[in-house]
Amino acid sequence: MRILGCFKAVPAFDLLREEDWVADDRLRVDTEYVKLEWNCFDEGALEMMRKLPERSEGTGAVFELDALTVGKKKADSFLKLLYALGFSHAVRVEAEEGAYAPPELVAELIAAYVRREKEDRAYDAVVTGVQSADGSHKKTPYLLAELLHWPCISQVISIEPAEKGCLKVISQVFGGEKTQLVRLPCVLAVGNAPCAYLRVPTLKDKMRLGNRPIEYLAPEALLADAAAYRDRGEKLLGLRPVDRSRDTVQIEGGSPEEKARIYYEQYLKGRLLKL
Amino acid sequence: MAIISREQIVEGLVKILGQDRVITDEKVLKESSVDRYRKYEQVCEVYTQPIPAAVVNVMSAEEVSEVLKFANENEINVVPRTGHSAIEGGLETALKDSVVIDGSGMNKVLKVDTYNMQVTCQCGVPLQALDDMLREKGYTTGHSPQSKPLAQMGGLVATRSIGQFSTLYGGIEDMIVGLEAVFPNGKICRIKNIPRRAAGPDIRHIICGNEGAICFITEVTMKLYKWQPENNRYIGYKLDDQYMKLGFDCLREVMVAGYRPSFARLYDAADANMHFSGWLEEGKAILIWMAEGPANITPAIEAGIKEMMSKHPELEEVNPALIEKWYEGLNWGPEQIAEEAEEIKATQNIGITTEVSGSWDNIYEIYKTSCDRILAEVPDMTLMGGHSSHSYINGTNMYFVYYYNIVDCAPEEEINKYHDRINQIICEQVLKYGGSIVHHHGLGKARAKYVTQEYGSSYYMLKTLKQAFDPNGIMNMGTLIPLRK
Repeated sequence: MRILGCFKAVPAFDLLREEDWVADDRLRVDTEYVKLEWNCFDEGALEMMRKLPERSEGTGAVFELDALTVGKKKADSFLKLLYALGFSHAVRVEAEEGAYAPPELVAELIAAYVRREKEDRAYDAVVTGVQSADGSHKKTPYLLAELLHWPCISQVISIEPAEKGCLKVISQVFGGEKTQLVRLPCVLAVGNAPCAYLRVPTLKDKMRLGNRPIEYLAPEALLADAAAYRDRGEKLLGLRPVDRSRDTVQIEGGSPEEKARIYYEQYLKGRLLKL
Repeated sequence: MAIISREQIVEGLVKILGQDRVITDEKVLKESSVDRYRKYEQVCEVYTQPIPAAVVNVMSAEEVSEVLKFANENEINVVPRTGHSAIEGGLETALKDSVVIDGSGMNKVLKVDTYNMQVTCQCGVPLQALDDMLREKGYTTGHSPQSKPLAQMGGLVATRSIGQFSTLYGGIEDMIVGLEAVFPNGKICRIKNIPRRAAGPDIRHIICGNEGAICFITEVTMKLYKWQPENNRYIGYKLDDQYMKLGFDCLREVMVAGYRPSFARLYDAADANMHFSGWLEEGKAILIWMAEGPANITPAIEAGIKEMMSKHPELEEVNPALIEKWYEGLNWGPEQIAEEAEEIKATQNIGITTEVSGSWDNIYEIYKTSCDRILAEVPDMTLMGGHSSHSYINGTNMYFVYYYNIVDCAPEEEINKYHDRINQIICEQVLKYGGSIVHHHGLGKARAKYVTQEYGSSYYMLKTLKQAFDPNGIMNMGTLIPLRK
């Protein structure tokens, strides 16, 4: 079974200082000084993929795991880590320096890469996170599924090996969890997985496996009109901080009942009447 | 070990402090049996050390005195504690039915004296709160360890802590003015606040670095400095990892030339990658300085360092704004600890540090041979590197940073299989080349077994101090001096 894991390496936004959330002259927030990290949903997705061969031990099922990212050169270190963790093939579609790749473009590029594979080497599934920390569009997996004409399951929290041509997929649904036996191919969008961290390869594995060549592709090699998508992406017009400050009133009272009464009379009642 | 029962210990403590300040909740007791040296056991909630009889919250030197007298009379091992951020086993309760004396409730800043430039505070004052308050007034203690969001004044003095700006301000031993401490027999001693004196040995150093094995620190007076961040200058250079020896030489050059930047750091490529991967290429080490102080001094330090470094073609200057932004995110608070615990549970990958020091003529060998041996001898390593972060006229420190996967190993075996094995290699290499096995985390219990090798003939002095002040052996036994098997 051949599975493609798609991920993004994103800036560690929590390391960005509040005063640095300003648009520069290119109308972008400069995140160059902060380190890159796995997009958290993608990290969970890749770990689920990594566990598939372990979980199928003794069943005879063979999993071939590939990884693809649309990103800059800095993302190479992430691909090397995946090699060291046993991924078979790593691909980076070059992202233009300083340009943001909108989800429409990312989905088209992944779809083109998947379609490129010959029938006997066709991918059985694409696994990715539901959204990325830099865009938060929540669009890429759905657009990808539409382009490939594959079904898409979102909010996936577990993927397990199943009978030939299928995967057992558990996803979060309103009020609970849903377990499905999914006939492939399909797109799986991983949400709040219980294990969102990828295992860490040893230095020996990094040396043994991590230096295999990464396949580099220009966007135009997959999509002739890739450049046109960039102009259709959102443009940052300005930024303003979200005011999270709140007023606080200490309710004085002799007993909890009295405090509750004051709370109702002075605070809740008026608001409830307005509803 | 105590000559009365666990129940009698609790009963006696309740009589001194009252019921509400004697904690016997099982979860609290278990968590108080260890510090972050047994990080993996903590994360797995497997506790292998003797569980203390009680944790007591003390609110004054007099209360500490009463508790210590009671412990001394009944030979109860006590473990002094404030911020609970120790990482070398210093807070482990190594003996049965120990009592943890927690001074974190003694958290009052007693006097800010900006004329004499000193601040007096109780042992439980959190350094972060103290320095934030001082900075608002335009002052600083100059002390800024990575544990700043967690650590409190008593523990910082007890472990002989050092901060990130030590090259200018020194270690905590250079910042202390006066102290108050309580000894095992209940004697409360105050060392007055004066700029200097030559009336015999400097007895502050019986207290500073005692790691709770001699006395309980209740009050600390520290020097104050002007806080002038607007004058800060940042200087950075990247270099290939193969030039680490040159990196140490560059640190030395700056110190020997007489410059006093507030921080001076050299990260090897493995460690640098964890901090600077947003803009630093893989395989690159990095040298960093920050100049702090009056407006006419910092540009001179910057110019002097740049002039010296311009003579090394192996160095490539980096944008100082990148260094400035990195430095603001250095500290390690409760959020990071919680996040780290989740990550360890999920990945079974753990990161540890060991800090040592050496002279300029042996620090590179200590660094290189330790890294080489660990990589060759310890399985499942995922990262091995380090940085130098505190430089002196005659040498520098090395802060080893290492990560490993925990493979086929029960939580209680992790220490032996990985952590202690790595510590042992580092200590062996340091002792072989003539450095110190402890730069600023304290010996704790983790490295106490090397104390005679570390001290050599001067171990006589340490042992005599311990015997003189703690003849019944009740103060944090196993710390500084190992327990007899």
